[in-house]
Amino acid sequence: MSALLEVQNLVKLFPVSGSRKVVQAVNGVDFTINRGETLALVGESGSGKTTVGRAVVGLIEATAGEIWFDGKRMGRGRNIRSSDVRGRIQLVFQEPAESLDPRIRVGETLGEPLRYLGLSRADRDARVRDVVSRLGLADRVVDQFPLELSAGQQQRVGIGRAIVTKPELIVLDEPTSALDPTARAEIVDLLIRLQRDLGTAYLFISHDLSTVRFLSHRVAVFYLGMILEEAESEELFARPLHPYSASLLASVLLPDPKLKQAKPMMLEGEIPSPIDLPSGCPLAGRCPFADAQCHLALPPATAVGVTHYVRCYHHDRVAALDKTVDHFARLQADMNKLLSAGAS
Amino acid sequence: MAESTKPILEISELWVTFPAYGAEAIHALKGIDLRIDQGEFVGLVGESGSGKTTLARAVMGLVPPPGRVERGRVLFNGRDLSRLDDDARRAVLGRELAMVIANPRAELNPVIPVGRQISNVAYYHLGMGRAETDRLALNMLRAVGIPDPERRFNAYPHDLSGGMAQRVAIAMALICSPKLVISDDATSGLDVTVQAQVLDLLQRMVGEKGAAALFITRDIAITAHFCSRIAIIYAGEIVELAETAAFFERPAHPHSIMLLAAFSHSPALRARWTRVLSEGETATTGGCTFAPRCVRRQNRCVVEAPTLRHLTGGSWVRCHFPVESDTA
Amino acid sequence: MLLRYIARRILYVIPQLFGIILVSFLLVKLIPGDPAVMMLGPTASEQSLAALRDKMGYSKPLWQQFTYYIGAVVHGDLGSSWQTTRPVTEDLFQRFPATLELVTFGLLAAIAIGFPLGVAAARLQSGPVRKFAGYYGLLAGAMPDFWLALVLIYIFYTRLGWSAPPLGRIDMAVELPKTVTGSLVIDSLIVGDIDALSSSFRHLVLPVLTLGIVNAGPILKMTQTTVTRAFSSEFVRYAEMCGLPRRVVLRQAVRVALPAVVTIISVLYGFLIGGAVLVEIVFSWGGAGQYAVQGVLNADVNPVLGFVVFSAVLSLIIYLAVDLIYFALDPRTRG
Repeated sequence: MSALLEVQNLVKLFPVSGSRKVVQAVNGVDFTINRGETLALVGESGSGKTTVGRAVVGLIEATAGEIWFDGKRMGRGRNIRSSDVRGRIQLVFQEPAESLDPRIRVGETLGEPLRYLGLSRADRDARVRDVVSRLGLADRVVDQFPLELSAGQQQRVGIGRAIVTKPELIVLDEPTSALDPTARAEIVDLLIRLQRDLGTAYLFISHDLSTVRFLSHRVAVFYLGMILEEAESEELFARPLHPYSASLLASVLLPDPKLKQAKPMMLEGEIPSPIDLPSGCPLAGRCPFADAQCHLALPPATAVGVTHYVRCYHHDRVAALDKTVDHFARLQADMNKLLSAGAS
Repeated sequence: MAESTKPILEISELWVTFPAYGAEAIHALKGIDLRIDQGEFVGLVGESGSGKTTLARAVMGLVPPPGRVERGRVLFNGRDLSRLDDDARRAVLGRELAMVIANPRAELNPVIPVGRQISNVAYYHLGMGRAETDRLALNMLRAVGIPDPERRFNAYPHDLSGGMAQRVAIAMALICSPKLVISDDATSGLDVTVQAQVLDLLQRMVGEKGAAALFITRDIAITAHFCSRIAIIYAGEIVELAETAAFFERPAHPHSIMLLAAFSHSPALRARWTRVLSEGETATTGGCTFAPRCVRRQNRCVVEAPTLRHLTGGSWVRCHFPVESDTA
Repeated sequence: MLLRYIARRILYVIPQLFGIILVSFLLVKLIPGDPAVMMLGPTASEQSLAALRDKMGYSKPLWQQFTYYIGAVVHGDLGSSWQTTRPVTEDLFQRFPATLELVTFGLLAAIAIGFPLGVAAARLQSGPVRKFAGYYGLLAGAMPDFWLALVLIYIFYTRLGWSAPPLGRIDMAVELPKTVTGSLVIDSLIVGDIDALSSSFRHLVLPVLTLGIVNAGPILKMTQTTVTRAFSSEFVRYAEMCGLPRRVVLRQAVRVALPAVVTIISVLYGFLIGGAVLVEIVFSWGGAGQYAVQGVLNADVNPVLGFVVFSAVLSLIIYLAVDLIYFALDPRTRG
């Protein structure tokens, strides 16, 4: 079975106005998403993950590289507006209040994508009602305006608008970052349920690592426009092999004072500007393990284990660090114990 | 009476009200009691709309009109800031009581270089000359870990990244060595690694000066690692107050557990602690404000509002039926 | 980089001027009135009219007339006014300094009146000053400047006898000071000619006051709006949290509100160069606006077009200067 989405060597450069320099937002990214699975792109600001999401949906044109959807090549006139792709790829945005038209009722917003698929009024209404119930919202929401809803409910509507065309792939760009932790958890539950019921694949772009671990099958770690490590979710969180991944995971604060991350791996400084990237590994300037080789040539993607890839010359040194405890798993175990007691 | 045991902040029975046209007034804060001792780090956790920011403003005496303090007192170092006149209050803010804000690039003055802004705080509070305050500001830039501080002194807020702007905000807050630092969601919106760096920095620098800190946040995980005591706020009331270790071991209030449950990966367990509000359901007057969302509620909760009481474990909880370690 | 920006802007002036002249040329051609009839009188014969029109080139097709005119402009030749019988360039050079002196001082007066009142109106919640500023903002826009000029003349000259008669820029008996800047007041100051200074100053007071009072209105309203907005912005709230003294916060807020005020001042300046004509006429100022209006009334094309060219160039220079001031005031615009 061919993959649903295949991205090969994607490159995106943005010109800087007033000079000949370019912002190297995406520098050669490869990944695959299979039907019904979730791939997460994690990274900090400036890592290029949002740009990749937009390129996949066709909101921006790639500078180089190929994107294959369902075996057919995208780009050069074939994008999400083409008749054979329409409605099969959808996008959910970060700020729910900003992505919904405040002057249009929720029901109409939800039904809008269906108009371009040629459904009749009756069919559209039926679909919208179906979606509203899947979202766990009350029926009367259809007649309300977005600003009458809470942030969590607004984001559900944003997701509803994406699933109403029964897409095969949804790109979610930081869908939970603007929400409170409780609303965040509800949205994640919803996404998991929808994936189970509808078989949709997700490209989940986020910097919320805790959610990512829960929701994704596979995770790709981005830095300065490149994937530095890619693995199955549990594997990555338990055994990160790239210095950047290790540092990223060590920075996540978990709600348990006993799980203070040992911090064996902290990077200095901040992410440099994506203009004028030096050759070699993008992390070389900040990495404690960097040597001459790292500055000279970009490490190739090495396979470590069946589905675990890492771009680092020194990944064995990272593996040797004493990080045998997967704090995220420990937290879940403690959580389970805590939550099981005490409810009536 | 030993000086060192006097709390730096003492909030008693604080009620803050916002009048609403043609409707009942909104009580943003309903009888808040909170004490922070000198050098203590306290966390205040709540969802959006719980009253956290209003509390921060009330502490500083800066409740935006038409809101006002209806009842109660906020004593900072023994003085009630909301009853001071404008000039006296300005002398305290930024000098003994400082706030680290959430979105510095939006809140710093866009047309003044950042070094000068830091220097301004010292200049108008410490009575030193310009040259000296500039030097002090430069040292602060260095202390907060901004690379190339001499050059960055003349940078404007929009030239800086989010993390660096946040460090500037910390420098501004700490330059006069305040006794209490309030962090109002200071790291939301920052990248994970930057957040870790900024929080470490804040903890270190505030601790070095022996100052106390109030960490106001939506993210309960932060308080686990930087605070010795935690307060949970819901709908303008403190619903739980406990030592950190005890809190995460044995959270007692259903809302606290609900907040922690957000981190669980088990939808089933999370559902155990979440009650969906039915149509038009709001808290009945006289009853517990959390009752509509509470999975443990009983008849008594709807009728009678609970008060903060002491549990055997040492925590304070506002609940008729808190989760205690042995009870089911 | 700044020099490159200035050079680029100066280069842009050329196509901008071309466009302005083209549109003005076409509009001017629409002025009713036959210049030939104007010049020769209503009793002239059809033959002589036709001959004159031929000679002035009015019988040629429009685009040819335009090309000819542009060609002349490039050489610095703006044609001649048949009314004054002198080259337009000469006329304008003689009259523009008068207009500039009037308009510049008038605008300064407007700023001096409007800006502080605007700041006060923004800061005070109630009280007499606020009320006054409110009414003033409303009235100033409704007040015709020539009407106000006449009122002021009546009060201060006719009744009180304080000011000079509204007849030009200086007493006829007084000798003109050496021309340095073109402004009589400044030149007398530079040269040290007390008589000329006193006389030109006394003649300047009323027209400047007129322009000042009328144009302070928009400046006041704009200042009030932007300062009010600046005060509710987040950085003011933050400055309060840092405990900065009230006057410092005010200063900072005003500083941020300045760019918008500067914009409206520059727009007013450009407008007043031609827009002060009524005041010029009432005070017999002998300015360029007056000259251009005369041209319109006489269907004398060249002065009108010449005035347009002059004031267009001036406006473009003013806008460039304002943009540079913007750069100085607001670092966010420097990119």
